[in-house]
Amino acid sequence: MGNLIVNEFVKIFKRKSTYAMFLFLILIVVGGGFLTKYLNSLDEPVSQDNWKEELAKETEQMKKDLEEMPASMRAAFEDEIAINEYRIAHDLPPSDYNMWSFIGDSGTYITIVGLFVIIVAAGIVANEFSWGTIKSLIIKPYKRWKILLAKYVMVLLFMLIVLALLFISAVAVGAVLFGPGDGGSQIHLSYADGKVVEQSQLLYLAKSYLLNSVGVLLLATMAFMISTIFRSSGTAIGISVFLLLAGDTITSFFAMKFDWAKYILFANTNLMAYLEGKPMVEGMTMGFSITMLTIYFIVFQVLAFLFFTKRDVSN
Amino acid sequence: MRISSGEILINGRSIASDFENAVRQIGAIVENPEMYKFLTGYENLKQAARLAKGVTKERMDEIIDLVGLTPRIHDKVKNYSLGMRQRLGIALCLLHDPKILILDEPTNGLDPAGIREIRNYLRSLAREKNLAVIVSSHLLSEVELMCDRVAIMQKGRLIDVQKVHGEGDAERQTYRFTVNDADRAANVLKSKGIEAAADGQKLEAALAKQQVPDVIKWLVEENLLIYEVKPLRKTLEDRFLEITAAKEAAVNG
Repeated sequence: MGNLIVNEFVKIFKRKSTYAMFLFLILIVVGGGFLTKYLNSLDEPVSQDNWKEELAKETEQMKKDLEEMPASMRAAFEDEIAINEYRIAHDLPPSDYNMWSFIGDSGTYITIVGLFVIIVAAGIVANEFSWGTIKSLIIKPYKRWKILLAKYVMVLLFMLIVLALLFISAVAVGAVLFGPGDGGSQIHLSYADGKVVEQSQLLYLAKSYLLNSVGVLLLATMAFMISTIFRSSGTAIGISVFLLLAGDTITSFFAMKFDWAKYILFANTNLMAYLEGKPMVEGMTMGFSITMLTIYFIVFQVLAFLFFTKRDVSN
Repeated sequence: MRISSGEILINGRSIASDFENAVRQIGAIVENPEMYKFLTGYENLKQAARLAKGVTKERMDEIIDLVGLTPRIHDKVKNYSLGMRQRLGIALCLLHDPKILILDEPTNGLDPAGIREIRNYLRSLAREKNLAVIVSSHLLSEVELMCDRVAIMQKGRLIDVQKVHGEGDAERQTYRFTVNDADRAANVLKSKGIEAAADGQKLEAALAKQQVPDVIKWLVEENLLIYEVKPLRKTLEDRFLEITAAKEAAVNG
Protein backbone atom coordinates (compact mmCIF):
# COMPACT_ATOMS: atom_id res chain seq x y z
CA MET A 1 0.00 0.00 0.00
CA GLY A 2 2.79 2.40 0.93
CA ASN A 3 4.56 1.67 -2.32
CA LEU A 4 1.40 2.36 -4.30
CA ILE A 5 1.34 5.82 -2.74
CA VAL A 6 5.05 6.34 -3.47
CA ASN A 7 4.34 5.49 -7.12
CA GLU A 8 1.53 8.02 -7.28
CA PHE A 9 3.78 10.60 -5.66
CA VAL A 10 6.51 10.03 -8.25
CA LYS A 11 4.00 10.25 -11.10
CA ILE A 12 2.84 13.66 -9.91
CA PHE A 13 6.16 15.14 -8.93
CA LYS A 14 8.00 14.05 -12.09
CA ARG A 15 5.70 16.13 -14.23
CA LYS A 16 6.50 19.67 -15.21
CA SER A 17 2.86 20.77 -14.96
CA THR A 18 3.00 20.23 -11.20
CA TYR A 19 5.85 22.68 -10.84
CA ALA A 20 4.10 25.12 -13.16
CA MET A 21 1.21 25.10 -10.66
CA PHE A 22 3.56 25.71 -7.73
CA LEU A 23 5.30 28.53 -9.54
CA PHE A 24 1.98 30.11 -10.50
CA LEU A 25 0.78 30.01 -6.89
CA ILE A 26 3.97 31.60 -5.60
CA LEU A 27 3.78 34.33 -8.25
CA ILE A 28 0.17 35.08 -7.30
CA VAL A 29 1.12 35.50 -3.64
CA VAL A 30 4.14 37.67 -4.48
CA GLY A 31 2.05 39.75 -6.89
CA GLY A 32 -0.71 40.07 -4.31
CA GLY A 33 1.85 41.26 -1.79
CA PHE A 34 3.16 44.00 -4.07
CA LEU A 35 -0.34 45.12 -5.04
CA THR A 36 -1.32 45.37 -1.38
CA LYS A 37 1.82 47.26 -0.47
CA TYR A 38 2.01 49.76 -3.31
CA LEU A 39 -1.45 50.16 -4.81
CA ASN A 40 -3.93 49.74 -1.99
CA SER A 41 -4.22 52.69 0.34
CA LEU A 42 -3.69 50.94 3.61
CA ASP A 43 -5.40 52.19 6.74
CA GLU A 44 -3.78 55.17 8.41
CA PRO A 45 -0.99 54.06 10.68
CA VAL A 46 -2.22 53.72 14.21
CA SER A 47 -0.75 56.30 16.52
CA GLN A 48 0.77 54.72 19.56
CA ASP A 49 -0.12 57.45 22.09
CA ASN A 50 -3.79 58.23 21.81
CA TRP A 51 -5.17 55.10 20.11
CA LYS A 52 -7.65 54.58 22.92
CA GLU A 53 -9.41 57.91 22.38
CA GLU A 54 -9.50 57.46 18.62
CA LEU A 55 -10.82 53.95 18.86
CA ALA A 56 -13.45 55.00 21.40
CA LYS A 57 -14.60 57.83 19.11
CA GLU A 58 -14.79 55.47 16.16
CA THR A 59 -16.76 52.95 18.17
CA GLU A 60 -19.26 55.60 19.33
CA GLN A 61 -19.87 56.55 15.71
CA MET A 62 -20.39 52.90 14.77
CA LYS A 63 -22.96 52.50 17.55
CA LYS A 64 -24.92 55.45 16.17
CA ASP A 65 -24.78 54.04 12.62
CA LEU A 66 -25.92 50.68 13.90
CA GLU A 67 -29.42 51.92 14.73
CA GLU A 68 -30.09 53.05 11.16
CA MET A 69 -28.77 49.89 9.61
CA PRO A 70 -30.74 47.04 8.00
CA ALA A 71 -30.71 43.93 10.18
CA SER A 72 -28.65 41.88 7.72
CA MET A 73 -25.62 44.16 8.08
CA ARG A 74 -25.73 44.56 11.81
CA ALA A 75 -23.87 41.40 12.79
CA ALA A 76 -20.54 42.46 11.32
CA PHE A 77 -20.76 45.86 13.00
CA GLU A 78 -21.67 44.38 16.36
CA ASP A 79 -18.58 42.16 16.11
CA GLU A 80 -16.31 45.07 15.47
CA ILE A 81 -17.81 47.16 18.25
CA ALA A 82 -17.39 44.33 20.75
CA ILE A 83 -13.79 43.75 19.67
CA ASN A 84 -12.97 47.46 19.86
CA GLU A 85 -14.38 47.70 23.38
CA TYR A 86 -12.40 44.63 24.36
CA ARG A 87 -9.21 46.25 23.05
CA ILE A 88 -9.81 49.39 25.10
CA ALA A 89 -10.67 47.43 28.22
CA HIS A 90 -7.66 45.09 27.96
CA ASP A 91 -5.15 47.61 26.62
CA LEU A 92 -4.56 45.79 23.30
CA PRO A 93 -3.79 48.39 20.60
CA PRO A 94 -4.90 47.52 17.04
CA SER A 95 -1.96 46.76 14.77
CA ASP A 96 -0.98 48.19 11.42
CA TYR A 97 -1.23 45.99 8.37
CA ASN A 98 1.48 43.37 8.94
CA MET A 99 2.55 39.87 8.04
CA TRP A 100 -0.39 38.32 9.88
CA SER A 101 -2.91 40.49 8.10
CA PHE A 102 -1.34 39.46 4.80
CA ILE A 103 -1.45 35.75 5.63
CA GLY A 104 -5.11 36.18 6.54
CA ASP A 105 -5.85 37.97 3.26
CA SER A 106 -3.95 35.33 1.29
CA GLY A 107 -6.58 32.86 2.49
CA THR A 108 -8.62 33.94 -0.53
CA TYR A 109 -6.08 32.15 -2.74
CA ILE A 110 -7.39 28.86 -1.35
CA THR A 111 -9.67 29.00 -4.39
CA ILE A 112 -6.55 28.69 -6.56
CA VAL A 113 -5.31 25.83 -4.41
CA GLY A 114 -8.74 24.29 -5.02
CA LEU A 115 -8.32 24.69 -8.75
CA PHE A 116 -4.98 22.83 -8.71
CA VAL A 117 -6.17 20.10 -6.37
CA ILE A 118 -9.22 19.55 -8.58
CA ILE A 119 -7.01 19.26 -11.67
CA VAL A 120 -4.86 16.65 -9.94
CA ALA A 121 -7.84 14.78 -8.47
CA ALA A 122 -9.58 14.71 -11.85
CA GLY A 123 -6.46 13.47 -13.60
CA ILE A 124 -5.11 10.89 -11.21
CA VAL A 125 -7.49 8.16 -12.40
CA ALA A 126 -8.51 9.51 -15.81
CA ASN A 127 -4.92 9.99 -16.99
CA GLU A 128 -4.16 6.32 -16.45
CA PHE A 129 -6.99 5.59 -18.86
CA SER A 130 -5.89 8.12 -21.44
CA TRP A 131 -2.25 6.99 -21.21
CA GLY A 132 -3.34 3.35 -21.48
CA THR A 133 -1.34 2.54 -18.37
CA ILE A 134 -4.43 1.50 -16.43
CA LYS A 135 -4.09 -1.94 -18.01
CA SER A 136 -0.69 -2.56 -16.54
CA LEU A 137 -1.76 -1.04 -13.24
CA ILE A 138 -4.69 -3.37 -12.60
CA ILE A 139 -2.72 -6.52 -13.39
CA LYS A 140 -0.36 -5.68 -10.54
CA PRO A 141 -0.80 -7.86 -7.47
CA TYR A 142 -2.97 -5.32 -5.65
CA LYS A 143 -6.71 -5.34 -5.31
CA ARG A 144 -8.39 -2.55 -7.17
CA TRP A 145 -9.72 -0.81 -4.09
CA LYS A 146 -6.15 -0.50 -2.81
CA ILE A 147 -5.03 1.07 -6.07
CA LEU A 148 -7.86 3.61 -5.91
CA LEU A 149 -7.33 4.32 -2.21
CA ALA A 150 -3.64 5.05 -2.83
CA LYS A 151 -4.69 7.54 -5.48
CA TYR A 152 -7.14 9.24 -3.14
CA VAL A 153 -4.57 9.43 -0.37
CA MET A 154 -2.25 11.09 -2.88
CA VAL A 155 -4.93 13.69 -3.65
CA LEU A 156 -5.15 14.50 0.08
CA LEU A 157 -1.36 14.69 0.35
CA PHE A 158 -1.21 16.95 -2.67
CA MET A 159 -3.83 19.24 -1.15
CA LEU A 160 -1.86 19.52 2.08
CA ILE A 161 1.35 20.20 0.17
CA VAL A 162 -0.20 23.00 -1.92
CA LEU A 163 -1.88 24.50 1.15
CA ALA A 164 1.44 24.43 3.00
CA LEU A 165 3.10 26.06 0.00
CA LEU A 166 0.49 28.83 0.00
CA PHE A 167 0.86 29.36 3.74
CA ILE A 168 4.66 29.42 3.62
CA SER A 169 4.73 31.79 0.62
CA ALA A 170 2.30 34.08 2.42
CA VAL A 171 4.47 34.03 5.55
CA ALA A 172 7.61 34.75 3.53
CA VAL A 173 6.12 37.49 1.36
CA GLY A 174 4.29 38.96 4.35
CA ALA A 175 7.43 39.03 6.51
CA VAL A 176 9.52 40.65 3.77
CA LEU A 177 6.99 43.26 2.63
CA PHE A 178 5.07 44.09 5.80
CA GLY A 179 7.27 43.02 8.70
CA PRO A 180 6.29 40.72 11.53
CA GLY A 181 4.20 43.35 13.35
CA ASP A 182 4.31 44.26 17.02
CA GLY A 183 3.46 42.08 20.00
CA GLY A 184 -0.26 42.84 19.84
CA SER A 185 -0.49 41.45 16.32
CA GLN A 186 0.35 37.96 17.60
CA ILE A 187 -3.08 37.79 19.21
CA HIS A 188 -6.24 37.21 17.27
CA LEU A 189 -9.54 38.47 18.62
CA SER A 190 -12.84 37.01 17.48
CA TYR A 191 -16.39 37.55 18.62
CA ALA A 192 -18.81 34.65 18.94
CA ASP A 193 -21.85 33.98 21.11
CA GLY A 194 -21.62 37.34 22.82
CA LYS A 195 -18.00 36.87 23.94
CA VAL A 196 -14.67 38.10 22.65
CA VAL A 197 -12.08 35.30 22.46
CA GLU A 198 -8.31 35.75 22.41
CA GLN A 199 -6.16 33.18 20.61
CA SER A 200 -2.75 32.82 19.01
CA GLN A 201 -2.70 34.41 15.58
CA LEU A 202 -0.69 31.53 14.08
CA LEU A 203 -3.10 28.94 15.42
CA TYR A 204 -6.09 30.95 14.25
CA LEU A 205 -4.68 31.29 10.73
CA ALA A 206 -3.71 27.62 10.45
CA LYS A 207 -7.22 26.70 11.59
CA SER A 208 -8.84 29.09 9.16
CA TYR A 209 -6.76 27.76 6.23
CA LEU A 210 -7.74 24.19 7.05
CA LEU A 211 -11.42 24.96 7.64
CA ASN A 212 -11.61 27.02 4.47
CA SER A 213 -10.19 24.03 2.60
CA VAL A 214 -13.11 21.79 3.54
CA GLY A 215 -15.01 22.93 0.46
CA VAL A 216 -11.94 22.28 -1.69
CA LEU A 217 -11.62 18.80 -0.19
CA LEU A 218 -15.23 17.94 -0.99
CA LEU A 219 -14.97 19.32 -4.53
CA ALA A 220 -11.73 17.42 -5.11
CA THR A 221 -13.45 14.27 -3.90
CA MET A 222 -16.28 14.97 -6.30
CA ALA A 223 -13.83 15.52 -9.18
CA PHE A 224 -12.13 12.26 -8.22
CA MET A 225 -15.48 10.46 -8.35
CA ILE A 226 -16.60 11.98 -11.66
CA SER A 227 -13.31 11.20 -13.35
CA THR A 228 -13.39 7.64 -12.05
CA ILE A 229 -16.88 7.15 -13.43
CA PHE A 230 -16.42 8.91 -16.78
CA ARG A 231 -12.70 8.15 -17.19
CA SER A 232 -12.10 11.62 -18.53
CA SER A 233 -10.65 14.48 -16.62
CA GLY A 234 -12.32 17.16 -18.73
CA THR A 235 -15.85 16.59 -17.46
CA ALA A 236 -14.64 16.33 -13.89
CA ILE A 237 -12.56 19.50 -14.06
CA GLY A 238 -15.35 21.43 -15.79
CA ILE A 239 -18.09 20.59 -13.31
CA SER A 240 -15.92 20.89 -10.22
CA VAL A 241 -14.24 24.16 -11.13
CA PHE A 242 -17.60 25.68 -12.05
CA LEU A 243 -18.94 24.73 -8.63
CA LEU A 244 -15.75 25.90 -6.94
CA LEU A 245 -16.23 29.36 -8.40
CA ALA A 246 -20.01 29.64 -8.46
CA GLY A 247 -21.18 27.17 -5.82
CA ASP A 248 -21.42 29.69 -3.00
CA THR A 249 -23.29 32.24 -5.09
CA ILE A 250 -25.80 29.72 -6.40
CA THR A 251 -26.37 28.35 -2.93
CA SER A 252 -26.95 31.72 -1.31
CA PHE A 253 -29.42 32.50 -4.10
CA PHE A 254 -31.40 29.37 -3.22
CA ALA A 255 -30.95 30.02 0.48
CA MET A 256 -32.91 33.26 0.16
CA LYS A 257 -35.97 31.46 -1.20
CA PHE A 258 -35.95 27.90 0.01
CA ASP A 259 -35.34 26.23 3.31
CA TRP A 260 -33.95 23.07 1.70
CA ALA A 261 -30.93 25.03 0.50
CA LYS A 262 -29.29 24.03 3.75
CA TYR A 263 -28.89 20.51 2.33
CA ILE A 264 -26.80 21.79 -0.59
CA LEU A 265 -23.12 20.95 -0.25
CA PHE A 266 -21.96 24.57 -0.38
CA ALA A 267 -24.26 25.76 2.38
CA ASN A 268 -22.20 23.52 4.65
CA THR A 269 -18.63 23.95 3.47
CA ASN A 270 -18.01 27.24 5.24
CA LEU A 271 -17.28 25.88 8.69
CA MET A 272 -15.45 29.09 9.61
CA ALA A 273 -18.86 30.77 9.72
CA TYR A 274 -19.79 28.80 12.83
CA LEU A 275 -16.64 29.87 14.63
CA GLU A 276 -17.65 33.44 13.84
CA GLY A 277 -21.34 32.82 14.50
CA LYS A 278 -22.74 33.50 10.99
CA PRO A 279 -24.25 30.44 9.26
CA MET A 280 -25.63 30.79 5.75
CA VAL A 281 -29.15 29.65 6.61
CA GLU A 282 -30.64 30.64 9.95
CA GLY A 283 -30.75 27.81 12.48
CA MET A 284 -27.94 25.68 11.01
CA THR A 285 -25.38 24.27 13.43
CA MET A 286 -21.83 23.03 13.10
CA GLY A 287 -23.03 19.50 13.88
CA PHE A 288 -25.59 19.64 11.08
CA SER A 289 -22.99 20.80 8.56
CA ILE A 290 -20.47 18.17 9.56
CA THR A 291 -23.16 15.51 9.19
CA MET A 292 -24.10 16.79 5.73
CA LEU A 293 -20.45 16.96 4.64
CA THR A 294 -19.87 13.41 5.86
CA ILE A 295 -22.89 12.19 3.90
CA TYR A 296 -21.68 13.89 0.71
CA PHE A 297 -18.18 12.52 1.26
CA ILE A 298 -19.42 8.96 1.73
CA VAL A 299 -21.68 9.13 -1.32
CA PHE A 300 -18.79 10.38 -3.50
CA GLN A 301 -16.44 7.70 -2.23
CA VAL A 302 -18.91 4.82 -2.50
CA LEU A 303 -19.68 5.75 -6.11
CA ALA A 304 -16.01 6.09 -7.03
CA PHE A 305 -15.03 2.78 -5.46
CA LEU A 306 -18.05 0.91 -6.83
CA PHE A 307 -17.35 2.02 -10.37
CA PHE A 308 -13.63 1.42 -10.18
CA THR A 309 -13.78 -2.05 -8.68
CA LYS A 310 -16.79 -3.42 -10.53
CA ARG A 311 -16.30 -2.24 -14.04
CA ASP A 312 -14.38 -3.63 -17.00
CA VAL A 313 -11.36 -1.63 -17.96
CA SER A 314 -11.26 -2.49 -21.68
CA ASN A 315 -12.08 0.34 -24.03
CA MET B 1 -15.97 -9.28 -17.51
CA ARG B 2 -16.97 -11.59 -14.70
CA ILE B 3 -16.16 -15.25 -14.19
CA SER B 4 -19.43 -16.90 -15.18
CA SER B 5 -18.48 -20.37 -14.05
CA GLY B 6 -15.42 -22.42 -13.18
CA GLU B 7 -12.20 -21.33 -11.59
CA ILE B 8 -8.76 -20.11 -12.65
CA LEU B 9 -5.83 -21.46 -10.67
CA ILE B 10 -2.31 -20.11 -11.12
CA ASN B 11 0.22 -22.38 -9.47
CA GLY B 12 -2.56 -23.54 -7.17
CA ARG B 13 -3.75 -20.04 -6.23
CA SER B 14 -7.29 -19.08 -7.12
CA ILE B 15 -7.67 -15.84 -9.00
CA ALA B 16 -11.01 -15.24 -7.30
CA SER B 17 -10.21 -15.95 -3.67
CA ASP B 18 -6.46 -15.22 -3.58
CA PHE B 19 -6.13 -12.53 -6.25
CA GLU B 20 -2.91 -10.90 -5.10
CA ASN B 21 -0.90 -14.12 -4.78
CA ALA B 22 -2.30 -15.52 -8.01
CA VAL B 23 -1.61 -12.41 -10.07
CA ARG B 24 1.87 -12.04 -8.58
CA GLN B 25 2.94 -14.98 -10.77
CA ILE B 26 1.77 -13.43 -14.01
CA GLY B 27 3.63 -11.07 -16.23
CA ALA B 28 1.64 -9.53 -19.04
CA ILE B 29 1.56 -6.99 -21.80
CA VAL B 30 -1.96 -6.03 -22.73
CA GLU B 31 -2.19 -4.74 -26.29
CA ASN B 32 0.66 -2.26 -26.72
CA PRO B 33 3.09 -1.87 -23.88
CA GLU B 34 1.97 1.41 -22.32
CA MET B 35 4.22 3.25 -19.94
CA TYR B 36 4.57 6.65 -18.37
CA LYS B 37 6.13 8.65 -21.19
CA PHE B 38 7.20 11.52 -18.93
CA LEU B 39 9.32 9.10 -16.87
CA THR B 40 12.58 7.51 -17.97
CA GLY B 41 12.78 3.82 -18.76
CA TYR B 42 14.47 3.28 -15.43
CA GLU B 43 11.78 5.15 -13.51
CA ASN B 44 9.13 3.06 -15.25
CA LEU B 45 10.94 -0.07 -14.10
CA LYS B 46 11.13 1.38 -10.59
CA GLN B 47 7.36 1.81 -10.60
CA ALA B 48 6.93 -1.88 -11.38
CA ALA B 49 9.67 -2.90 -8.95
CA ARG B 50 7.97 -1.13 -6.05
CA LEU B 51 4.81 -3.14 -6.61
CA ALA B 52 6.59 -6.50 -6.76
CA LYS B 53 8.32 -8.39 -4.00
CA GLY B 54 12.07 -8.72 -3.76
CA VAL B 55 13.22 -6.98 -6.93
CA THR B 56 16.78 -5.86 -6.25
CA LYS B 57 18.85 -3.28 -8.07
CA GLU B 58 20.98 -6.09 -9.50
CA ARG B 59 17.86 -7.76 -10.86
CA MET B 60 16.89 -4.50 -12.54
CA ASP B 61 20.32 -4.07 -14.13
CA GLU B 62 20.25 -7.68 -15.25
CA ILE B 63 16.90 -7.34 -16.97
CA ILE B 64 17.85 -4.02 -18.58
CA ASP B 65 20.95 -5.67 -19.97
CA LEU B 66 18.93 -8.66 -21.15
CA VAL B 67 16.62 -6.55 -23.30
CA GLY B 68 19.56 -4.47 -24.47
CA LEU B 69 18.39 -1.10 -23.16
CA THR B 70 21.40 -0.32 -20.97
CA PRO B 71 22.63 2.69 -23.00
CA ARG B 72 19.21 4.37 -23.19
CA ILE B 73 17.56 3.38 -19.91
CA HIS B 74 17.85 6.86 -18.37
CA ASP B 75 16.19 8.55 -21.35
CA LYS B 76 12.55 9.58 -21.18
CA VAL B 77 10.24 6.97 -22.68
CA LYS B 78 8.67 9.56 -24.98
CA ASN B 79 11.96 9.55 -26.90
CA TYR B 80 11.94 5.76 -27.37
CA SER B 81 11.23 4.04 -30.67
CA LEU B 82 8.39 1.53 -30.81
CA GLY B 83 10.89 -1.34 -30.72
CA MET B 84 12.55 0.09 -27.61
CA ARG B 85 9.20 0.47 -25.93
CA GLN B 86 8.37 -3.11 -26.84
CA ARG B 87 11.61 -4.24 -25.21
CA LEU B 88 11.02 -2.11 -22.14
CA GLY B 89 7.54 -3.63 -21.95
CA ILE B 90 9.06 -7.08 -21.89
CA ALA B 91 11.52 -6.00 -19.20
CA LEU B 92 8.59 -4.63 -17.17
CA CYS B 93 6.64 -7.85 -17.25
CA LEU B 94 9.62 -10.13 -16.61
CA LEU B 95 11.04 -8.07 -13.77
CA HIS B 96 9.36 -10.00 -10.97
CA ASP B 97 10.19 -13.45 -12.37
CA PRO B 98 6.67 -14.56 -13.24
CA LYS B 99 5.68 -18.17 -13.85
CA ILE B 100 3.33 -17.28 -16.67
CA LEU B 101 3.84 -14.66 -19.32
CA ILE B 102 0.80 -13.40 -21.22
CA LEU B 103 1.50 -11.37 -24.33
CA ASP B 104 -0.95 -9.78 -26.71
CA GLU B 105 0.53 -9.36 -30.22
CA PRO B 106 4.12 -9.30 -28.95
CA THR B 107 5.70 -8.62 -32.34
CA ASN B 108 3.39 -5.79 -33.30
CA GLY B 109 5.29 -2.90 -34.83
CA LEU B 110 8.67 -4.57 -34.74
CA ASP B 111 11.05 -4.81 -37.68
CA PRO B 112 11.97 -8.30 -38.97
CA ALA B 113 15.17 -8.41 -36.91
CA GLY B 114 13.26 -7.37 -33.81
CA ILE B 115 10.59 -10.01 -34.44
CA ARG B 116 13.19 -12.75 -34.73
CA GLU B 117 14.95 -11.48 -31.60
CA ILE B 118 11.75 -11.47 -29.53
CA ARG B 119 10.75 -14.90 -30.85
CA ASN B 120 14.10 -16.45 -29.98
CA TYR B 121 14.08 -14.78 -26.60
CA LEU B 122 10.61 -16.02 -25.73
CA ARG B 123 11.49 -19.56 -26.80
CA SER B 124 14.64 -19.51 -24.71
CA LEU B 125 12.67 -18.24 -21.70
CA ALA B 126 10.24 -21.10 -22.04
CA ARG B 127 13.10 -23.58 -22.38
CA GLU B 128 15.49 -22.29 -19.73
CA LYS B 129 13.28 -20.72 -17.08
CA ASN B 130 10.42 -23.16 -17.53
CA LEU B 131 8.12 -20.26 -18.11
CA ALA B 132 4.75 -20.75 -19.73
CA VAL B 133 4.24 -18.13 -22.43
CA ILE B 134 0.74 -17.45 -23.68
CA VAL B 135 0.61 -15.39 -26.86
CA SER B 136 -2.46 -14.06 -28.57
CA SER B 137 -2.08 -13.14 -32.19
CA HIS B 138 -3.78 -13.11 -35.53
CA LEU B 139 -0.49 -13.43 -37.39
CA LEU B 140 -0.70 -17.18 -37.90
CA SER B 141 2.66 -17.50 -39.63
CA GLU B 142 4.22 -15.87 -36.59
CA VAL B 143 2.34 -18.15 -34.20
CA GLU B 144 3.50 -21.15 -36.20
CA LEU B 145 7.12 -20.14 -35.67
CA MET B 146 6.78 -19.15 -32.05
CA CYS B 147 4.40 -21.58 -30.39
CA ASP B 148 4.14 -25.24 -29.49
CA ARG B 149 0.41 -25.41 -29.08
CA VAL B 150 -2.44 -23.34 -30.45
CA ALA B 151 -5.89 -22.72 -29.05
CA ILE B 152 -8.42 -21.40 -31.52
CA MET B 153 -11.15 -19.09 -30.33
CA GLN B 154 -14.21 -18.23 -32.34
CA LYS B 155 -16.96 -15.89 -31.21
CA GLY B 156 -15.60 -15.91 -27.67
CA ARG B 157 -15.52 -19.70 -27.38
CA LEU B 158 -12.55 -22.01 -27.29
CA ILE B 159 -13.16 -24.38 -30.17
CA ASP B 160 -9.93 -26.35 -30.48
CA VAL B 161 -6.49 -26.90 -28.97
CA GLN B 162 -3.81 -28.46 -31.19
CA LYS B 163 -0.10 -28.98 -31.37
CA VAL B 164 1.47 -26.72 -33.97
CA HIS B 165 3.89 -29.36 -35.27
CA GLY B 166 2.76 -32.86 -36.41
CA GLU B 167 1.26 -35.23 -33.93
CA GLY B 168 3.93 -37.95 -34.45
CA ASP B 169 5.49 -40.32 -37.00
CA ALA B 170 2.52 -42.57 -37.54
CA GLU B 171 0.44 -39.86 -39.08
CA ARG B 172 0.12 -39.93 -42.85
CA GLN B 173 1.11 -36.90 -44.82
CA THR B 174 1.02 -36.04 -48.48
CA TYR B 175 4.46 -36.04 -50.12
CA ARG B 176 5.22 -34.48 -53.47
CA PHE B 177 7.83 -36.11 -55.71
CA THR B 178 9.29 -34.22 -58.64
CA VAL B 179 10.51 -36.81 -61.16
CA ASN B 180 11.29 -36.96 -64.86
CA ASP B 181 8.28 -39.23 -65.65
CA ALA B 182 5.42 -38.97 -63.20
CA ASP B 183 3.10 -41.42 -64.98
CA ARG B 184 5.64 -44.22 -64.91
CA ALA B 185 6.40 -43.47 -61.26
CA ALA B 186 2.69 -43.66 -60.43
CA ASN B 187 2.55 -47.10 -61.98
CA VAL B 188 5.55 -48.23 -59.92
CA LEU B 189 3.77 -47.13 -56.72
CA LYS B 190 0.49 -48.73 -57.78
CA SER B 191 2.30 -52.03 -58.32
CA LYS B 192 3.44 -51.80 -54.68
CA GLY B 193 -0.12 -51.07 -53.56
CA ILE B 194 0.19 -47.32 -52.96
CA GLU B 195 -2.29 -44.84 -54.39
CA ALA B 196 -0.60 -42.00 -56.24
CA ALA B 197 -1.72 -39.12 -58.45
CA ALA B 198 0.48 -38.01 -61.35
CA ASP B 199 0.46 -34.58 -62.93
CA GLY B 200 3.21 -33.81 -65.49
CA GLN B 201 6.45 -34.07 -63.54
CA LYS B 202 4.72 -34.10 -60.18
CA LEU B 203 3.56 -37.08 -58.21
CA GLU B 204 1.59 -36.88 -54.98
CA ALA B 205 1.04 -39.73 -52.55
CA ALA B 206 -0.14 -40.07 -48.96
CA LEU B 207 2.60 -41.87 -47.04
CA ALA B 208 3.73 -42.64 -43.57
CA LYS B 209 7.18 -41.22 -42.82
CA GLN B 210 8.81 -44.71 -42.73
CA GLN B 211 7.58 -45.46 -46.25
CA VAL B 212 9.41 -42.55 -47.83
CA PRO B 213 12.89 -44.21 -48.12
CA ASP B 214 11.27 -47.33 -49.63
CA VAL B 215 9.43 -45.32 -52.23
CA ILE B 216 12.62 -43.48 -53.18
CA LYS B 217 14.50 -46.79 -53.47
CA TRP B 218 11.81 -48.27 -55.73
CA LEU B 219 11.84 -45.27 -58.00
CA VAL B 220 15.66 -45.31 -58.25
CA GLU B 221 15.63 -49.01 -59.03
CA GLU B 222 13.28 -48.25 -61.93
CA ASN B 223 15.83 -45.70 -63.19
CA LEU B 224 13.53 -42.71 -62.55
CA LEU B 225 15.28 -39.40 -61.89
CA ILE B 226 14.21 -37.76 -58.63
CA TYR B 227 14.72 -34.03 -58.39
CA GLU B 228 12.88 -33.26 -55.16
CA VAL B 229 10.80 -34.90 -52.42
CA LYS B 230 8.91 -32.81 -49.97
CA PRO B 231 6.11 -33.20 -47.48
CA LEU B 232 3.10 -31.01 -48.23
CA ARG B 233 2.42 -29.66 -44.80
CA LYS B 234 -0.78 -27.80 -44.17
CA THR B 235 -0.03 -24.35 -42.83
CA LEU B 236 -1.59 -23.23 -39.58
CA GLU B 237 -3.67 -20.89 -41.65
CA ASP B 238 -5.14 -23.79 -43.65
CA ARG B 239 -5.91 -25.66 -40.46
CA PHE B 240 -7.40 -22.60 -38.83
CA LEU B 241 -9.71 -21.93 -41.75
CA GLU B 242 -10.67 -25.61 -41.91
CA ILE B 243 -11.54 -25.75 -38.22
CA THR B 244 -13.42 -22.48 -38.04
CA ALA B 245 -15.33 -23.25 -41.25
CA ALA B 246 -16.30 -26.67 -39.91
CA LYS B 247 -17.57 -25.16 -36.67
CA GLU B 248 -19.41 -22.49 -38.55
CA ALA B 249 -21.11 -25.16 -40.67
CA ALA B 250 -21.95 -27.18 -37.58
CA VAL B 251 -23.54 -24.15 -35.96
CA ASN B 252 -25.48 -23.10 -39.04
CA GLY B 253 -26.44 -26.59 -40.21
